[in-house]
Amino acid sequence: MIELGERTRNISPSRLHEILLENGARSLVDPFMGLPTHLNYLKRHGIAVHGGDLLDWFVRVGEGIVVNDQTILRESEVAEIVEMLPGRIYPLEAFKAWEGVFFSEEQCLYLSVWLDNVRNLRSDGQTGLAILGLWRVFCYWLQKSHYPDDMPDVPPSELAWSYIRETEQWVTTNLRRNTVRSSDVLATISAQSADALFIAPPARNSFRTADARIWMWEAWWQGNPYFTIEHTYKDSLFGSRSAADEHAYARAIASVLSAAAEYPLVVLQTNEKRFGEFEPLVRNARSAVEVYSPNDAELYIIAKK
Amino acid sequence: MTLFQDPDAVPRTAAARLADVLDAFAAAGDLAARNAPGTSRRKAVAAASLARVAGRGESEAARLYFAALLHAIGALGNVGLMRGAQLHDRVAKMARWDVPAEGARLCERIAALPKPVADLVRWQHESWDGTGYPDQLRWNAIPSGAQLLRLADIFATAGDPEETLQTAADAGGRALGPEIAGLYMRWFHFTGGEPEPMDAPAGALDAGAGDAATIVDLLADRIDAHNGTPGRHLRIGRVAEGVATRLGLGAADASTLALAARIFGAGELARDRAEDDQFDPLARLGIAERAQNAAAAADAFGDNPTFRGAAAVVRSRAAWYDGTGIPDAAHDAIPIGSRILGAAIAHDALDAVHRAQIREDRTPPADRLDTAAGTQFDPDVTRAVLEATRTHA
Repeated sequence: MIELGERTRNISPSRLHEILLENGARSLVDPFMGLPTHLNYLKRHGIAVHGGDLLDWFVRVGEGIVVNDQTILRESEVAEIVEMLPGRIYPLEAFKAWEGVFFSEEQCLYLSVWLDNVRNLRSDGQTGLAILGLWRVFCYWLQKSHYPDDMPDVPPSELAWSYIRETEQWVTTNLRRNTVRSSDVLATISAQSADALFIAPPARNSFRTADARIWMWEAWWQGNPYFTIEHTYKDSLFGSRSAADEHAYARAIASVLSAAAEYPLVVLQTNEKRFGEFEPLVRNARSAVEVYSPNDAELYIIAKK
Repeated sequence: MTLFQDPDAVPRTAAARLADVLDAFAAAGDLAARNAPGTSRRKAVAAASLARVAGRGESEAARLYFAALLHAIGALGNVGLMRGAQLHDRVAKMARWDVPAEGARLCERIAALPKPVADLVRWQHESWDGTGYPDQLRWNAIPSGAQLLRLADIFATAGDPEETLQTAADAGGRALGPEIAGLYMRWFHFTGGEPEPMDAPAGALDAGAGDAATIVDLLADRIDAHNGTPGRHLRIGRVAEGVATRLGLGAADASTLALAARIFGAGELARDRAEDDQFDPLARLGIAERAQNAAAAADAFGDNPTFRGAAAVVRSRAAWYDGTGIPDAAHDAIPIGSRILGAAIAHDALDAVHRAQIREDRTPPADRLDTAAGTQFDPDVTRAVLEATRTHA
C-alpha cells in the first residue's frame, strides 16, 4: 500500500486575495503554481493570473481552469471519456505495472482507457478539465485502499462522471488574459510582468518527497508508470543542485527574489517553522517587508518596493 | 445612550451579553442565507457534541460551537444572496462560495471570539477531495475542526437524523475525510442522533476584548448592506433617539428602541423585494407586507434574552394607531417604542423617495407623514418625529 503522507502546500487563495486587495494588486504571477485551484479562485475574483510549473499535468489543468474562459465538457463528451468506446483499440496494458501494487486490474484498465480518451479530446480546456476530474478519482482510489470500509464503493465510470461534470463549475471568465506555462521558475518570472509575484517555495529536497499522488498522476499523464519526478526537476532551480546543500537552496530563493526585482509586490508564503529560512533573504532583497501570520501554518512575508 | 439596559432583576454578565449578540448575528445570517430558523443553533450544538465525542476537549468544543453558530454570517451582504442583485444562477452560485470567507472576515472583526474561530468559519465548506469552497483545500490541509463543522452542517440541514447516517457515509473520502465520516456513526450511537441541548459556552469569549454594542452596530451595518439600504439604521436610530428624548422615554425604553432600530431590517433579509417597492409607506395595502417583515425579525430575535424587548417593539411596528394595522392593537395598547419605530421607518422611506424623486409626488416627507397622524401614527409621536427631523435637517 502506498504511503499517503501529505506534503502538499496549504495555500488559501481567499487569504491571498485579501493581501492582494490590501496592496492594490490586480495581477499576479505564481511561477511554482502546483495544482492551480488558487489561481482559479483569483481569476474568479477579477485578478489576472499567470502560472508556471514543470509538471505537465499541472499546466494542463491550468489550461482547463485558468486559461479557459468558456469551454466545458458536456454530458455526451464526458460519457466518451469515462467508458471504453466501441470500435477503438486501447493499449490496455499501459498501467499493468501498477496492478496489484496500487490498483486492481479493473482500475488499471480504466486508467489506460481514460488516458487514451483524454488524449483524443479536441481542446486544451477540455483536456485540462478531464485531467482534473480524473485526478480526483485517482486520489479517491488510493485513499480507499487505506480506508476500505469508510468510503463507499462507487463504480469507476460513475465516479469519473461525477468528478468530471463537477469541473464545469470552475470555468469562468474575468475578462482578462490569464496564462499558464510549462517552464522553470525564473523563466516564468521573466516572461511575465504583473503587480505581484506569489511564491510558496518548495522545501529543500521536496521533489524527492513529493506526495505520491502528484507524481503518479504525472506518470499517468505521460503514459509511463515508471516515471519519476526527479527526472523532471533534474536541471531546475529547485532540483538536485539546490537539494544538495542548504546554501544552494538559499541561493535559489535569492535568485528568485532578484529576478522579481521589477514586481511591485512579492508575497512569499511559508510557515512559522521555516520563517527563519526566508525572512533574511527577503529583507536583503527588499526594503519594505511586513509579516502577516494568521495562524501557525500560514505565514506571509509581504515585500514591497 | 447605553444600548443595553437590564430590565430583569439579574443583569446579564458581559460574556453572556456577548453570547446573546453573537446568537442574534447568527439568526440574521440564517435569514440572509435562507436557512431554516434555528439552523445555526442546531449546528452549533451538534458541532460541540461532535467535538466531545471526538475527544477534542471543552475549549475546542466551545470554539466549534461559535464557529458553527456564525457559519452563515458571511451571507449578510453577499451578492449571490442579496435582493435585487439579479445575477445569472451560475454567477450567483459562484458568489455564494464567498460566504465562508466573508464570514471569516466578520469574525476577525469580533475581538471577543477565540482566534481560531475565523479560520474555522472560512474553511467550514472545504471538501476532503478538494472540491469544496472557497479555497478548494484538500486532505489534511483542511483543519479537522472545519471538517467537524462540515459534519455538523450535514446534521443541521437534514430533516431526519437517521438520513444523515447515509449522507455522512456517502460523503466519506469526498466531502469528509474517511475518519471524520466514521466519527459520525460513533456520535450517532452515543447521542441517538440528537445532541443534548446546551447553553452557549460564553466563558470561552474574551469579554474584555469585545464590546457587545460594537458587534450590534456591525450586525446592523451588514443588515443594511444586504437590504441595499446603506446607513438606514443610523438615520432611523437618530430620529428614534430624538423622539424618545422629546417624549421623555425612560432609559430602558430608549435603549430597547435603539436596539430595535438596529435589528428591524432583519425581517427583510429573506424577502425578494424591498418593503416599499410595491406600496407607499403610508398605504394601507402595504400593512400585510410590513407586518410580515416585522414578525420575521421579531421571531428571529424573540427568544434571545438581550433582544427580547427590542423584538417586541419590532413586532408591533406595523400596527396602526387607529387599530386597523397588524397587530390590531390601538392607541396606548401599542408599545410606545413600536409607535416611534413605525413612524421613523415611514419617514425615512418617504425621505428616500423624495430625495430620489422617483415618484411624481414632490410633497415633502414631513407634510405626508403629518397627514397620517391619528390614523397610522400616534399624533404625539408624529409631531416629535417632525421636530426631530427638522432639528437634524
